[in-house]
Amino acid sequence: MQPAVPDPKAPEGAEPLAARARRDALAAAPAAFRHALRLRMVSARMVELQREGRVAFHAAVVGEELAVVATALAAREADWVFPGTREWGVAIVRGLPLATYFQHAFGTALDPAKGHSAPDHAPARAHRVAPASGVVGAHLPQAVGFAWAAKSRREEVATLAIFGDGATSTGDFHNAVNFAGVFRAPAVLVCRNNGRAGAAATTRPMKAGSVAEKAVAYGVASARVSGEDPIEILAVVREALLRAAEGKGATLVEIVTHPPESLEGVDLFSLPGTDALASLRRALEESGRLDAAAVAVMRGEIAAEIDAAVAAAEKGAPPPPETLFDDVYAHVPAHLAAQRALASAHPAPRKE
Amino acid sequence: MPSMNMVQAINDALRTSMRKDERVVLMGEDVGRVGGVFRVTQGLWDEFGDDRVIDTPLSEGGILGTAIGMALYGMVPVPEIQFADFIFPGYDQIVSELAKMRWRSGGEYSAKMVVRTPVGGGIRGGLYHSQSPESLFIHVAGLKVVCPSNPHDAKGLLLASIRDPDPVLFFEPKRIYRAAKGEVPEGDYVEELGRAKIVRHAEAGKPAVTVLAWGAMLYEAFAAADQAAEQGVSCEIVDLRTLWPLDIETIAASVKRTGRVVVVHEAPKTCGFGAELVALVNEHCFVHLEAPPVRVTGFDTPFPYTLEMEYLPLAHRILPAILETARY
Repeated sequence: MQPAVPDPKAPEGAEPLAARARRDALAAAPAAFRHALRLRMVSARMVELQREGRVAFHAAVVGEELAVVATALAAREADWVFPGTREWGVAIVRGLPLATYFQHAFGTALDPAKGHSAPDHAPARAHRVAPASGVVGAHLPQAVGFAWAAKSRREEVATLAIFGDGATSTGDFHNAVNFAGVFRAPAVLVCRNNGRAGAAATTRPMKAGSVAEKAVAYGVASARVSGEDPIEILAVVREALLRAAEGKGATLVEIVTHPPESLEGVDLFSLPGTDALASLRRALEESGRLDAAAVAVMRGEIAAEIDAAVAAAEKGAPPPPETLFDDVYAHVPAHLAAQRALASAHPAPRKE
Repeated sequence: MPSMNMVQAINDALRTSMRKDERVVLMGEDVGRVGGVFRVTQGLWDEFGDDRVIDTPLSEGGILGTAIGMALYGMVPVPEIQFADFIFPGYDQIVSELAKMRWRSGGEYSAKMVVRTPVGGGIRGGLYHSQSPESLFIHVAGLKVVCPSNPHDAKGLLLASIRDPDPVLFFEPKRIYRAAKGEVPEGDYVEELGRAKIVRHAEAGKPAVTVLAWGAMLYEAFAAADQAAEQGVSCEIVDLRTLWPLDIETIAASVKRTGRVVVVHEAPKTCGFGAELVALVNEHCFVHLEAPPVRVTGFDTPFPYTLEMEYLPLAHRILPAILETARY
């Protein structure tokens, strides 16, 4: 575990919040394990489905699930989360059924996004999760604006955004942290830093030594935690959310992760290098809160759930042609009504 | 009914909507204490305070990105971009986020707001304070685009835009901010979006030309039409008011009556909104046309500082187009 960077604006009385956050984090550990195992198995299946050409896109998260899960679990029910594309698991952790996730991945008539957006961009308003953007970093100022609105309405709500280190190079990141600082927005910006900055390890996101240290220049609090320590992630993010909701301003949190370079030929349940999920399992087994039999049952249940969800989604009909014109505007204007009639009259040929 | 200029009418619309709906918030560079670069928001910070009239850092991407977040929360932000020329640092937030929020979430989310920004030249503003980028927004599915030409419409259209469920780009023609004056009703009223208005009818029995214009160029169309009348040519002038969604019915009805059409806009000619208008006129009125449709527009150059009166499609360029079209 790496120590948190000292909060440059640490208010007096922060200690009780930290203690409260840590107690909640420890209690959530078994749930975190199950959620992370589920995300790993979903991501591994999506990688397979994409390789086979059955879905067109997936942002794999294998090896970093606990960073996503611990961050999502840190959010209280009333809090809102703005995920990036690779943090699709947030919605699942907060309650989006796997059946719906896979209907979205296959773009069926039952996809809540109506086949409008590519996989891993599912909306989940019922679970207080904003729809991810395909533009890296674009959701960050939105999360800050959302937080700021909650503050101006005197709501005890904090807003969490999560993103990869690639986003820290964008103007949207700068805008988000700067506006969050200027307006003391109750926002917590969580960077999952895997050192990849998008697809290529050769992309260089920054000269600075860490993401967290950038917070100093914006006058917001910061913390840097290891992706191998989900309890610490959960405690730090929860504390930051509690501080935000109490009017103590925004925090930039950096989670340092080390996902495997490739999934080719690896044991999904014991990744090469450090595997936070395997470490958490050992810790829970050592403290008697989990055992091998329970893990085996869990894997079986999750595999069956995924199999059923994929089978149902793959059989799903595509959305009818006219749904292309839904939701462009609140009401369909005349020019779109004309185009909708055209689309209905000339459906594209489909492979049987 | 009080007489107002455009600035006063827009200010009145903002005040009216903010008194009526506490979700309405203004934000932008210097919109608060200073009252905006053109003083359009003057006095509103005094009445509504920091939470509802928000001075922001100088970053259009930040203003528009955070405004989208506020809209997702359920507020109705009315961000001001000081000049439309400066909207491009925030263009991605408008094009990829604001315009697509409802669609990409299958209708679960929407981000309604009104982005107010001054457009157009003729104020010696040079290339970064004079542009008219309407076609760049009309081309993006999910946006509505409005451009009023007088105080009455400015207030009614802004009140309608703030009430509209979709994101609206509200372009304010800065050249006539203070020059255009007229009677403006007190209190709340709306001018429905998507409705053009025939502001001058053709005289019966004379050769006639339909002139399509909006914003500041409407007055140039009037001036050209006055001169054309002296030469026996009558004009039917249509103020588009809402550029998108377009009131093609009113336009097509007029062109079917006259058989001739001249389109006027400040933006460059190539792929300007005039190109779309001419294409739609062809689709709707082809067999009624007596002459090829003509565009009188800004040139395909950046907007100039010194030679702006050469650049702008003023009456001296509209008149010959009207006469040639009438005599084709």
